[in-house]
Amino acid sequence: MQFDSTREAVAFLARRATWGLAPGALDELEALGVAGTIDRLVDPSAVGIAEEASAWADWDFTYDRSDGRASRAQTLEAFDRWMTRLQTTNRPLDHQLAWFWHDHFAVSFQVVRYLPAMLDHLELCRSLGRGDVRELIRQVTTDPAMLVFLDGATSTGESPNENFGRELLELYTVGINNFTEADVRAATVALTGWVVRPRSGYKAHFVPRRHDDTPQTLLGVDGVHDVDTTIAAVTSSPACPVFIASKLGRYLLGDIDTTTIFDLGSVFEAADLDISALARATLTTGVAGHASPIVAAPLPWLLQSIASTGARVETPALVGALRLLGQLPANPPNVGGYPGASTWLGSSATAARFTVATDLARRTPADAPALIAAREGDWARLADLLLRPGGFSQPTLAALADLDRSVTVRPGEGALALALASPDLLIA
Amino acid sequence: MPISRRAFLGGAAGAAAVGGGAWATLLGDSIEATRPTAAVPTTSVVTTTTVAGGEAAVATGAGMSVTDRVLVVLEMSGGNDALNTLVPPVGGYHDARPQLAIDDGELVVLGGTDYRLHPALGGLVGFWNDQTMSAIAGVAMPQQSRSHFQAMDTWWSGVPGSPSQTGWLGRWLDLTVDDERNGVPDPLRAIALGGGSPALVGLETMATAIRNPADFNLMTQPGTDTDALIAAFLATSAPLVNEPTLAAAQQAIPGTLDAVALLAATSSDIEDLGYESNTPGAGRSAVELLDTAARIIGMDIGTRVLTVGVSGFDTHAGQLDNHDALLRDIGTALEQFFARLDESGDRERVMVVTTSEFGRRVRENGSGGTDHGNGGLQFVFGPAGNGGVVHGGYELDSLDNGDIPLAIDTRSVYGAALEWLGGDGAADGVFENAPAFLAV
Repeated sequence: MQFDSTREAVAFLARRATWGLAPGALDELEALGVAGTIDRLVDPSAVGIAEEASAWADWDFTYDRSDGRASRAQTLEAFDRWMTRLQTTNRPLDHQLAWFWHDHFAVSFQVVRYLPAMLDHLELCRSLGRGDVRELIRQVTTDPAMLVFLDGATSTGESPNENFGRELLELYTVGINNFTEADVRAATVALTGWVVRPRSGYKAHFVPRRHDDTPQTLLGVDGVHDVDTTIAAVTSSPACPVFIASKLGRYLLGDIDTTTIFDLGSVFEAADLDISALARATLTTGVAGHASPIVAAPLPWLLQSIASTGARVETPALVGALRLLGQLPANPPNVGGYPGASTWLGSSATAARFTVATDLARRTPADAPALIAAREGDWARLADLLLRPGGFSQPTLAALADLDRSVTVRPGEGALALALASPDLLIA
Repeated sequence: MPISRRAFLGGAAGAAAVGGGAWATLLGDSIEATRPTAAVPTTSVVTTTTVAGGEAAVATGAGMSVTDRVLVVLEMSGGNDALNTLVPPVGGYHDARPQLAIDDGELVVLGGTDYRLHPALGGLVGFWNDQTMSAIAGVAMPQQSRSHFQAMDTWWSGVPGSPSQTGWLGRWLDLTVDDERNGVPDPLRAIALGGGSPALVGLETMATAIRNPADFNLMTQPGTDTDALIAAFLATSAPLVNEPTLAAAQQAIPGTLDAVALLAATSSDIEDLGYESNTPGAGRSAVELLDTAARIIGMDIGTRVLTVGVSGFDTHAGQLDNHDALLRDIGTALEQFFARLDESGDRERVMVVTTSEFGRRVRENGSGGTDHGNGGLQFVFGPAGNGGVVHGGYELDSLDNGDIPLAIDTRSVYGAALEWLGGDGAADGVFENAPAFLAV
């Protein structure tokens, strides 16, 4: 992708690295310029944007119910705090990275079930998600939610369970073809002995008698026998920085060529596996022309649409929309994470996008610039508000122009719905 | 009475009214609820595009043509535990699984073999007895991987080892589009229920992917001229732009509108089925998805291939209860599916093949579960007279790294399925050097 103007370049950054911009905010980014926008995204503290506490920090959670499950109200509150934070944060890239790591580890609330543990896991993804990747992976390895999700909590020296050991190598650190079955076994044995105790608040504990301390050889490193030596071995593999750079690169930039991937891997390695440095290099190379169009997942499509239109969507409705669109936060369908383009281009997602777009248009306030632009047929302005300053594609433009203004009771609502549902808005 | 696809879609456009305002109800739904509420009465009507191309001649009984045949692939994702599904008659099974082995007394006896079925599949015995059901044990791809993703890639592509851009069914659909559809790709010729299947990916073929038939619809707000808005949505899809990703987003729209028109007439009410899956994981139940598949088959709209995706088979922990629920869903789904096909007179047109990316380790782990293994199990439900047989076997005396070794290459099962779809030689060009064993 090449950008003809600063405005198009910063709109690209906004589509990939934020959860949407309110009307006017694109002007601010344009004034900051491309470098200034990347600085602000990657290092907001440098321009005085304060660090955030956890979205759930001030929530004194105690169970309403006696069966160890959160009530509907509590689950809704958890979502509400999370989604509200995404929509109001001044540190959007922190939360994009948190979402990336949530997708990367793919821990599902369906499996974990214990709400505070799930929220602690999501908070790990945020608070450590832009620092040293070794620390993030180290903490996630003995995170109660992960110990439950991939059965580490029941893996013993006597009967090891390979679920986490395999995915640590295949999905989290080095990738397929960069490890052997013997490595899976070695990592599994070295990580035995951890348990999660429901009665002590779902904390992780190490139980030496459940652990097999026999030294293992993992990815060519001898003497691996516990969590620290396991994480040191996998993250010191030359495959690790390339694997993670490739995955974050595809998340932020779409399809990227092998040279770019290896360049980013080198940057990541040289930065001592600092995720912020990798994110900065990735965004920079994307703006320089190494990005490809991405099929937007439902969550960014929805939140960016809400930010642009000011549509008033309370949390139950937001959750319902995400469920219909096929991407319920904290519920990736399998250990591979959320689905990709082929699913979001599928018939279910396409039909749901149309339905949700009509609802968003209805929920858009009368004085919203997007609704006014749609009512007045100012398609260039509408596209710009929707973070497409280059304008709509010809087919979408023609469809908007041909649409009868009386298609909805409120003038402009139909055109706004059509723009939100259009193929243009699906492509980030 | 045969109904042509065009006639059906024309009729459905009038009948398939969907609920304005229903979505608002849905959005107010509970986080814990897994199903949307029913649509309220309509303010809107789904219109549809029509896809050019020949209409499959519909014949029944003895006059059935090979192009009337349908293949249903039931994908059980996560790696179904073969050993506890079709249980071998040897003591080594009990030794390897002190917690997980199922007692002999609970297992379902199958005629003509010492293998026995998991009790949750007891309803399938009738198919075994009338010889429409076969089992293929120890089935795998060569160079089978223990990685979900690598294993699924090769099972979907039918190409061992190296990655392939196309799926085994997609290549068949590509090969036959000229003969069967005058070269015009028809998105309804292949339909994926429960999410898209990469097995259907071809170079020219476009399949229709539907995650959840129950909420698959287009809805608008009250007071909307829905026809006009949907027509405008369709208009954004043409002409295709040059940029391929945006073009792909455009191409998704016409097939979606066709499929909505189709599925609006097939959508079933899960409560009518008297069964609610408690399958772990986020997937839809096999009962619900196979019910939709049966309804689609009954419409004679030229659909040749359906994939049905169900998940949750990655039973690393707590396997006994989870696997029982998963298999109960599968067994109930197949029973109801064939009963519906019997009612509509379509039974003879349909072959069902189950798949799963690998079998699980013979020895149980310490979590009451099993880890990723190798050789697995497939079932084939097809024409009478060929069933009632276990092909291959588990060979527990010659394990491969603690796993069931490959006894039968799954490409030979695929080959049999393609021969069912296309007569002799249909597998040519889809597989190179794939072994064949299962004559249809």
